[in-house]
Amino acid sequence: MNCEDKHSAQKADNTSSTESISQRKAASFFQERPPQVMEVAPQLLRRWTRRDLLVFGAGAVAAVAAGGALLPQTTLKRLGVIHENKDWPRREWLLNKFLHIDDDVAEALYSGNRLVPTYTKSQITPLKNNYNGATPDPSYIPGWRLTVDGLASGLSVSLNIRNLLSSFRLHEQITRLVCVEGWSAIAWWAGLRFDDLLRAYPPVSQARWARIESSVNLGPWGNPDPYFMSLDLATARHPQTLLATHLNGHPLTVDHGAPLRLLVPVKLGLKNVKAITRITYAAEEPKDYWAERGYSYYDGI
Amino acid sequence: MTCSTHLGEVIAARMPEHQSGVRVVRRHHLLVRWSHWLNVPILMGLILSGVSIYWASPVYKHKPNLLNGNVDPFADLGVWICAHVPGLNHYSSPSDWVYNHISLGPGMLAMALRLHWLCAYLFMLNGLVFVIGSAMSGGWRSLLPRGTDLRDATRMFWYYIGVPVAKLTHRPWLHPPFNTKYNALQRGAYFAVPVAGLLSVLTGWAIHKPMQLFWLTAIFGGYDKVRIWHFWLMWAFILFMVPHVILVLADGWDTLRSMIVGWSTREERSEDF
Repeated sequence: MNCEDKHSAQKADNTSSTESISQRKAASFFQERPPQVMEVAPQLLRRWTRRDLLVFGAGAVAAVAAGGALLPQTTLKRLGVIHENKDWPRREWLLNKFLHIDDDVAEALYSGNRLVPTYTKSQITPLKNNYNGATPDPSYIPGWRLTVDGLASGLSVSLNIRNLLSSFRLHEQITRLVCVEGWSAIAWWAGLRFDDLLRAYPPVSQARWARIESSVNLGPWGNPDPYFMSLDLATARHPQTLLATHLNGHPLTVDHGAPLRLLVPVKLGLKNVKAITRITYAAEEPKDYWAERGYSYYDGI
Repeated sequence: MTCSTHLGEVIAARMPEHQSGVRVVRRHHLLVRWSHWLNVPILMGLILSGVSIYWASPVYKHKPNLLNGNVDPFADLGVWICAHVPGLNHYSSPSDWVYNHISLGPGMLAMALRLHWLCAYLFMLNGLVFVIGSAMSGGWRSLLPRGTDLRDATRMFWYYIGVPVAKLTHRPWLHPPFNTKYNALQRGAYFAVPVAGLLSVLTGWAIHKPMQLFWLTAIFGGYDKVRIWHFWLMWAFILFMVPHVILVLADGWDTLRSMIVGWSTREERSEDF
């Protein structure tokens, strides 16, 4: 029988072996064990089979039900499973729960000291204008001002681009911008550090968030559609978080958010607000344009 | 350790006296069985949502088609299918046909991402269940590659290729002999699948956190390359599943049942169909 063969093979191995004992031990640790044979009464075996088939069958039914409840309504409609919207009450709760877990993981992974990789000028790639055809009319640029609210002074500050360029040091970096859609681009940016703005105009002491807004943003049909986004101050203080004024050595064009955009490479592209018009510091997490549309809140990458 | 100790593990206590029992072989640990079946809905969720995520920015693109502006070969495939498959001539959006059939659908990125994270965390937990189950049962040893596997796997491959011919011509067709839990081809496949699972998880994290885990992204050749890895790992799962299901069904009820109940009545593995 095969069991005996193995046994004698092992014996033969032992006699001819020149390996050290530890090596042989290691070999036997990784060696497949002979099968375990049991002798079971037929009626007991039948009972086991029935029990396991029922348990696993119930599991399969539960999986189909959970899948049906979690899949998007449009998908189920297309498949002909349902004909009208029927929302499972806990579905949003469960999906949101995991979105929050994933955000918590992202926040735990974040370190204020960890710098993102930088690239050389030869690695720069084209950067697309993701305004998707609804680029704002550049007429807003001459009169543009940045308003900063929620300051410790209790005042609100209004700055134009010359104020910003003359009172802050510009920093350059060649970093990758990663979009939630999956594409990415390496670009050469220059701008002031968000951290420097925070030091020059300190926020109220209990502030943990910034709401970054672009009032000139347009919707997909060219309709006014202000863009607003939440940014935690820990990320705002990251040394590579810039309020960018230049791209590839030139002042920003309207396509890329002239005259001032947020560049936060540790976040998804959707947090990199173009043409910022207002920054408001707050203690509570502000609303977020894309979180309201089903995307995550933290978006740390 | 001798053979008799293993035969000594035959559980006699389960047997009422004066009754002949059925000899069964332990095959799969309970946790391994659960993780095996949980992979079905989890992988389905991951693939459906993953292809929807892929839709938002395909890694494979060509110059825009002058007629319809398509850049994505999946869109071209949909157009081709709707033009050539009878009954689909009036399909409303041919370029979405593929996405309408192997994903949640186009234009559902937010929903697809949320489902993908849910399934991805479940997939990692399920991987842990598998690791614990195979450590407890020692079953992982049956999956390890052997020196003779390449030769034996080739033999098994030609055996499987020849089975339908032998069946049709009523000729005897002997199964290559083996005395391990799995034949070399099975072993290769069952070893590769957990490895592919691990690589999927690693490439997934490398795409998900390319800044905080930049070293992981760099191992796979950078952000753009790691998306290609992740995409083809999905196909590796699909390519495994098709012959896996066919061969299990061809092998018979005992093999399928053993993944549910954990035991098999076949003590000797090498026998012909």
